[in-house]
Amino acid sequence: MAEEHVIWVYAIISVLEPGLLDGLTGIGGEQVRVVTEHDVGAVIGSVDARMFGEEALQQSLAQPGELEAVARAHHHIVETVAAAQAAIPARLATVYRDETGVRDLLAERGDEFAGTLRWLSSRLELGVKVWADPSLLAGEGTAEQVDITPDGGAAAGAGTLYLRQRRAHLTAREAGHQHATRLSDEIHAMLAGLAVSACLHAAQDPRSGDDHSQMVLNGAYLVDSARAEEFSAAAVASGQEGARVEVTGPWPPYSFADGPDR
Amino acid sequence: MTQPWSARQAGTVGLPGRSEPANLADILERVLDKGIVIAGDIRVNLLDIELLTIRVRLLIASVDRAREMGIDWWEHDPTLSSGQRSLADENRRLRQRIGELENGGSQRSDGGVPADEAEAASHKNDSSPARQGQGSSG
Repeated sequence: MAEEHVIWVYAIISVLEPGLLDGLTGIGGEQVRVVTEHDVGAVIGSVDARMFGEEALQQSLAQPGELEAVARAHHHIVETVAAAQAAIPARLATVYRDETGVRDLLAERGDEFAGTLRWLSSRLELGVKVWADPSLLAGEGTAEQVDITPDGGAAAGAGTLYLRQRRAHLTAREAGHQHATRLSDEIHAMLAGLAVSACLHAAQDPRSGDDHSQMVLNGAYLVDSARAEEFSAAAVASGQEGARVEVTGPWPPYSFADGPDR
Repeated sequence: MTQPWSARQAGTVGLPGRSEPANLADILERVLDKGIVIAGDIRVNLLDIELLTIRVRLLIASVDRAREMGIDWWEHDPTLSSGQRSLADENRRLRQRIGELENGGSQRSDGGVPADEAEAASHKNDSSPARQGQGSSG
């Protein structure tokens, strides 16, 4: 029985840099290649239908171990291509039965892709995360301390004192969260001003272990490559006591794949 | 104690190459949620993937830690590794039950056509290459 193949799409590009894909293997260990139609190309690979067909894919992507392997392999190709030239990353699991389908796609949406590629040209995506420390979120130092001196406390009694402390604690927490939100809004606005385009991802979950900091900003920014260092420095400098800033990337422009008019 | 003013940078910003592998959560939120949507010939149920992203997000910290310790617990987590299989099992049981009911509660020893059919379906499911090497305790 002959091995059946399906076509996995990694990214959309314009004219390919020569030699870029030499020896580059994709999610199924296949040699990655390009099909071109009207000056727009798709970076693709022929992969085993038994592993990357509809049913198999549905199953394998439902398992974190295999999902990770496929996601990393897909990302590796997209990253390699996007580092060398403008590229529109394809969402994971964009699969065609044959090359004809891909050519039809390029013919159909070529103008749109070309426009997006021009917009993405010489730009890259940077990620910025802001982590708020528990102390900042608890509002330490933001609210006045409760008077627990004998004078103030004795008159009130233990129950009232407890309630008063509890209320002060909650007020401080509220203030802490508001402070964190305001801070992340400010940082995002500042960074968006340095970027061509900006978007927000959902905050990731709190880290495990002893670090209980919470992510209060998970932003993605499309930045002119020439200004990447400046952007990164500004992001890092926006950190302050209780709020750590982490810059990730450069990423292929995943978060801006829909172009300027999304 | 973490240093209060620390600002950490991952990767080498501004340069095409990266010095360290990207965080899995960062990759997943991009390859699954972002990237251009192209209607290919093959559709993977996106709702499932969305649910999966959430699940993976919840688990990622634990996964990373588990990896460090050499534990692959998710392969034994029924909700993660054998979701499809248990669905197939459940399907088989239900079909069997329907078959029994349709036969007026008679025992399967007298033919058991529905069970055979179901067996074939479940076998097809099990033989998928994607399952190879995956531990799944029954």
